[in-house]
Amino acid sequence: MSANIESFPGTPLSQADLDAGKVLTTYWKPKLEYGWDAGVAISRYLEELKNGRIIGIKCKRCRRVVVPPRVVCEWCWEPMNDWVYLQDTGTVNTFSICYIRWDASRAKEPQIPAVIEIDGASNAGFLHLLDEVNPDDVKIGMKVQAVWKPTEEREGSITDIQYFKPL
Amino acid sequence: MSLIDRIGTFADAKVWYDNIPLESEYTVGIAGEKFFRAIKDRGVIMGTVCPVCDLTYVPPSMYCERCFTELEEWVEVRAKGTVYTYTILTRSLDDQPLDEPEVLAFVELEGAHGGLVHRLGEVDLEDVEIGMEVEIVFKPQQEREGSILDIAYFKPI
Repeated sequence: MSANIESFPGTPLSQADLDAGKVLTTYWKPKLEYGWDAGVAISRYLEELKNGRIIGIKCKRCRRVVVPPRVVCEWCWEPMNDWVYLQDTGTVNTFSICYIRWDASRAKEPQIPAVIEIDGASNAGFLHLLDEVNPDDVKIGMKVQAVWKPTEEREGSITDIQYFKPL
Repeated sequence: MSLIDRIGTFADAKVWYDNIPLESEYTVGIAGEKFFRAIKDRGVIMGTVCPVCDLTYVPPSMYCERCFTELEEWVEVRAKGTVYTYTILTRSLDDQPLDEPEVLAFVELEGAHGGLVHRLGEVDLEDVEIGMEVEIVFKPQQEREGSILDIAYFKPI
């Protein structure tokens, strides 16, 4: 730190200073739109979510069932073709209790993201949210079930499942 | 469906569309503040001088990037320079065709070790060349906001 700057934390600025134009700033809001090709397996997976079902796929060689489905087994490179409908229940593999939202704002009620191992799959699952549960009661190994959006609101998205709740 | 299958209809092929909501607001900093205020209020380009390295930084730095000396001497540099390199744009940032192509250039300012990336104006595309002498055209003072866009463009001398 320069000897010419005596008080330590520099020049504190508040939102009000910025709003009042006290200092000059450069502002940018980039347009970050994207289209991601979901591919064969995820396309079917999303379509089945719209139907209110979770679908996985089985590797004939490894004899394991994976979800979300993919067309090649990443363990043995075997092309996979055996689609399997799974339960909409599962087990909490891991979780986090978040008091900070994705945009770094504070949340009074925490969000509880969790990895859910889906019943019928071989220790495979996906990240989703837990709700209808006291954050203190969430445990690894807890049994949970999907809470779906009403049929007419589903759009072929992972958010067609609103959250998982304890069984 | 699997690897050996094909997606038969477009309806089966899903594309996930979304956007990433991102905005940024950077303060221009202590040296940047002086630099942009000088442009806004007086229509001049200021740089900082490193007495040790005998260099003039434009845009100004608070510290010399070669010897880390804190720079306290400010000088006005001339609002003219030469085109170091340039490119001609025919599409916008959003990849839309532009009505008029734009010329972006890095202009080395006279008397400074450095320069500015900006638009070239009042010039035919065929006439743009490296080494061309150009000068700054500022926006009218009442339109200036303390940003690099207070410079409207550089035009050939």
